[in-house]
Amino acid sequence: MRRDLIAILAVGTLILVAWQVVVVVGDYPPYLLPSPFDVFDRFSDPRVQATLLSHLGTTLVEVLLGLALGVSLALLTGFVLARSHLAERLLSPYIVAAQATPILALAPLIVLWFGSGLLSKVLICALICYFPMVVATTVGLRSIDPGLVELGRSLRATRRQLLTSIEIPAALPTILGGLKIATTLAVVGAVVAEWAGGSSGLGVLINLARGSLFDIPLMFATLITIAAIGVALYLVVVLLERRLVGARA
Amino acid sequence: MSRPRPRFLAALAVPLALTLTASAAVAQSPAPAELTQLTVGLGYIPSVQFAQFYLAHEAGYYRDAGLEVTFQNQIDPELITLVAQGAVDIGMGDGTSIVPARSQDIPVRYAATIYARFPSVVFAKASSGITGPADLAGRNLGTPGKYGSSWIMLQALLGSAGLTADDLTITLYPDFGQGVAVLTDQVDAATGFANNEPVQVALQGDEVTVLRVDDIVPLPGPGLIVGDATLETKRDALRAFVGATLRAMAEITADPQLGIDATFARVPELAADPATQRAILDATIEGWSNEHTDTFGLGAIDADAWAQAVTFLTQMPGSPVEGPVAVEDLITTDLLPAAP
Repeated sequence: MRRDLIAILAVGTLILVAWQVVVVVGDYPPYLLPSPFDVFDRFSDPRVQATLLSHLGTTLVEVLLGLALGVSLALLTGFVLARSHLAERLLSPYIVAAQATPILALAPLIVLWFGSGLLSKVLICALICYFPMVVATTVGLRSIDPGLVELGRSLRATRRQLLTSIEIPAALPTILGGLKIATTLAVVGAVVAEWAGGSSGLGVLINLARGSLFDIPLMFATLITIAAIGVALYLVVVLLERRLVGARA
Repeated sequence: MSRPRPRFLAALAVPLALTLTASAAVAQSPAPAELTQLTVGLGYIPSVQFAQFYLAHEAGYYRDAGLEVTFQNQIDPELITLVAQGAVDIGMGDGTSIVPARSQDIPVRYAATIYARFPSVVFAKASSGITGPADLAGRNLGTPGKYGSSWIMLQALLGSAGLTADDLTITLYPDFGQGVAVLTDQVDAATGFANNEPVQVALQGDEVTVLRVDDIVPLPGPGLIVGDATLETKRDALRAFVGATLRAMAEITADPQLGIDATFARVPELAADPATQRAILDATIEGWSNEHTDTFGLGAIDADAWAQAVTFLTQMPGSPVEGPVAVEDLITTDLLPAAP
């Protein structure tokens, strides 16, 4: 673990050095490619910190609520599809079609129908993380060793006991794999939703930094903050996976 | 000696006449190799609002000035960066964007006024009872977002009546549907462009009230912007471009049909609704002139007005200006023709 951390930090340092070298060698002005120092200056400005925190709070709420909604519906859908081949044959084309439709095209429509408040953001986040969770849940439940289920039945386990003691634990590694993808996509969904219509959030801050303030270092700082949210949520799922699944992960 | 045959002389005259005509034509317009290439950035979509550029292009004014002009359509933030780095030689940029851009050391400046009257306005149906900024208190106002020239204009308007954005309800229309929202009474008023949304609402038969910011603070409207580096390397070509464009603006002001014809030649799709396009063009022409340009000519830049605008932008709540900026760093009059 400690060695991994050192390696990760080392790679990160190399990336920063390479970035700085590109800026210096290419002689790029900050409005085209700010240096790591320009971006760090923004992070260390108390006014920017307050601005970032405020917008971060908005985006985080959208991501978490959207994730909760999308994952809940996806688990339910995945369960139904795993249990019923008829349901899978009937519903799968529509689920795939929803996934294939670009969220950038759907987001403005959702904002139009549901307003530019929190609801539309949550719906867009939920929509973007729904499909990978459905697939992961369906595959996870279908991949269970039939022998385990048979063993449970032979021990007279109830339907509920089969589900909670055998099927869900067996499917958990795959489901959590889907959750890792869903969390990063939820962050993307929140930013896209804010672009489609919002008055606060990191997506709005990107537009402000780029289009009103012409502050590209601030835009970079915002992008890094967005990436950090994605990484943090991903790590939470990794920790959850280790706790629930352990060495099977 | 025998006399030359008349038929031979006639046969000789024809190619001779053709040669003389061709030589004269070549002498009048520069050979293609001598034309200076200019990439010109216009607004987000082709529109009759850019009629002067279309006329100057279609009538050959740019070519006569030794220019080969190519138009690009970009949104304002992208255009400012592209102009600054020289990827676009000259373009239409909002004056209120130049100030924050320059405060971030983006090397771009304003070279000619196109909209002498600030085109961002607040508009409402006359039936709403809104006649001035003070009437906006407690009302519902639609706007695309809390940024950009519309938001700056709104701050100025509200400030003139001792109001802030907290004194009314702001409804966001990121899809720029605030005009329809006024038409369908979803909101009491909205921000828009003087030559767009209010025109569209008026064409539906409603009397429209327009609140302008010009008498409150003289914000600089969209104009021609250039990068510092391009200004040094292509000064003569840029000056010629500005001159040709201002000539087209004068001609369209005198005869708007010239602008309509040039626009429809360039963007045939717009010919589907000529009445609307004419109404938009008339409103656009109205925005090209004010007292300053009436005195000093179309395109003239009012440095005093710019100074007032910089003060306002620097002091407004949530100012987009990072650090002090000097007016002489924001504008250049080098490309303008001599004042009449």
